Amino acid sequence: MNLLPLALYAAAVVVYGIHFAKRQPSVGRAATTLLLLGVLAHTFVIGMQTMEVRHVPFSNTSTAVSSFVWMLALSYLYLEVTTDERAMGVFILPIVVGLLTVPVLYPGVDYRDPVLDSAWFWVHVASLLFAYATFALAAMLGLTYVLQFKEIKKKHLGYFYTRLPSLHVLDAMNSRAVVVGWLFLTIGVVVGIVWTAQARALSPENSNLQAMSLQDPKIFIAVLTWAVYSFSMFARKTLGWTGRRAAWLSALGFVIALLNFIPVSYFVTTSHTFQ
Amino acid sequence: MQVILLGVSHRTAPVELRERLDFSSRDLGAAVEALALRPSAAESVVLSTCNRSEIYVVSTDPARAREEVTAFLSEYHNLPSAAFTPHLFSHDNEAAVRHLFRVAAGLDSIVVGEPQILGQVKDAFQAAAEHHRTGPMLSKLFHWSFLVGKRVRAETGLGEGAVSISFAAVALARKIFGQLTGRRVLVVGAGEISTLTAQHLRTNGVGEILVTSRTSGHADALASSVNGRSIAWDDLAQAVAVADIVITATGSQRPIITRAQIEAVTGRHRRDPLFIIDIAVPRDVEASVGDIEQVFLYNVDDLQTIVQENLSRRTSEVERAEAIVAEELAKYAAWQRSRGAVPTIVALREHFDRIRRSELSRLDGKLSGLPPEARARVEEITRLIVEKLLLEPTEQLKGLPDEETQIAYTEAINRLFRLRESESLSSTVEASAEVTQADRRGK
Repeated sequence: MNLLPLALYAAAVVVYGIHFAKRQPSVGRAATTLLLLGVLAHTFVIGMQTMEVRHVPFSNTSTAVSSFVWMLALSYLYLEVTTDERAMGVFILPIVVGLLTVPVLYPGVDYRDPVLDSAWFWVHVASLLFAYATFALAAMLGLTYVLQFKEIKKKHLGYFYTRLPSLHVLDAMNSRAVVVGWLFLTIGVVVGIVWTAQARALSPENSNLQAMSLQDPKIFIAVLTWAVYSFSMFARKTLGWTGRRAAWLSALGFVIALLNFIPVSYFVTTSHTFQ
Repeated sequence: MQVILLGVSHRTAPVELRERLDFSSRDLGAAVEALALRPSAAESVVLSTCNRSEIYVVSTDPARAREEVTAFLSEYHNLPSAAFTPHLFSHDNEAAVRHLFRVAAGLDSIVVGEPQILGQVKDAFQAAAEHHRTGPMLSKLFHWSFLVGKRVRAETGLGEGAVSISFAAVALARKIFGQLTGRRVLVVGAGEISTLTAQHLRTNGVGEILVTSRTSGHADALASSVNGRSIAWDDLAQAVAVADIVITATGSQRPIITRAQIEAVTGRHRRDPLFIIDIAVPRDVEASVGDIEQVFLYNVDDLQTIVQENLSRRTSEVERAEAIVAEELAKYAAWQRSRGAVPTIVALREHFDRIRRSELSRLDGKLSGLPPEARARVEEITRLIVEKLLLEPTEQLKGLPDEETQIAYTEAINRLFRLRESESLSSTVEASAEVTQADRRGK
């Protein structure tokens, strides 16, 4: 099902790469068009899955990854349209393609435990997926900041200098992405806690719900992620940690979030496996 | 009708002579008007920058046009023609077109790819057009040259990268700060490059410009020239603390800005970036200042290196730009050839139409019994037949590959249909519009 969007995204990566190297506006427009087609195809796939299982498909890791990728592609597309800046595509879309191979290789069926039949659950997952998508953007903005910072600091104005937006713009976008992501991460975690408490009262026998505690790796790492981004925002405001330090922090935060999202979800956690 | 170009440029004439022949400081329109008094030129444009004075005219008599333009230059600038004729270059037709395309592309400039020239070419055309001195030939030619200039800028890196120290500094500032609006600039010590850089920053919309110098008179003068504020020399350290961009250019033998100084005021980690441009030799800023996390320190050699790199990058783009010029030149030549066929096409059409009308009037008696709609239909059908018959020959004539073939074809058609060329030559301009319309109807 996800093969068509994956193919379109992969084609977009190639064209964004050519655009980055050659800087021809027509190539850039072609890249955006491919991305847009990819997002449309992906929307269709998710829509079909929703019709099939009669709920938004992100109860198992594969479908959740697919939804996450969709949000990331959509957020990036929004960023590109609003800033008219295409240079970031070559950094963002490889994440899109890399992650979408997961649901293509392991196309899990979105079976849903009746326990999850709650609006709280929907808000919980949607907020967290969106938070991760903005963290991915922030991390890539941070990475490009560092690349360009090095060139300007060392006075070797080269490849990235001529292609990327200014340091100020990259730093400001990184800061905004972190704030938005942190906000949704907070909502997601808080809603998760509230809903767990409610669900436990309704079905005290459920093993997943029993495993919900800070000792569970998935929950622990989510809280750790939240701590990293909270510190990043605090440090920017009070310690003057802008620029490179903020960039590294947002990259660190995303690596942790990504670890949590895929390997931990598939192999380690006992709480978040509603199969 | 031929295009003739006469002029001097930095390639042919020394600056003293270019100054004497300059039009740009005076009214371009007046020059065009004065040139209009010479009868040989049907159309004319005067292009004048500090590196060139060029006159483009369209004339049926090239030799006479050249003489008259030379006389015009001599009279207008009050200079004996012997003083400049050895430096004058002249191109006709394709060579003139090629020259204009290269000029508009920035290929003929001293600094290859410099951005002003295209605007200057547009101004030159505008001035001539306002005084009704441009016609179909120069209009087409100059608009085509604007297109060449735009294509070269869009498709090559010929105009990319700053090629002067002050522009390189501003480009860096924009890469660090993005929009420069509201950024605070500090200029320490007055000098040519620091003044220029401050002025460029001003045009890029920076906020306050603070100026300081050991001699307060210098600071005041510079402050007023860049619309800034002069501050006391003793306030230097505080000013560095609040500035986003610092330009230093003092004659001091020892550094006036040190790492310890900056860290004492802003702490170990600056929140916002600080961009320091040290133009002074010996340097005004301690090298270790560049090690502070958010400080970007560039001295005059660093900027010079950037300028050199940009220049060599531009040079490597010349070939691609020349290829675009050649491509557009070929297209222009094809267009001109198609235009050369116009009188023949018009004559041919008139010939066919005359036959059509005479045949219709001969049949007038027989057709008189028909109702008016049917007669109109007959009229329409005969017209369509003529147009259909002529459609393919018209296309073929317009698309002939070279001038020789065109002459041969024209000759053949004239003889085959006994066309009188002179009849249609006078109405070339209207005819070309007519042919285009007829084409549209025919298709």
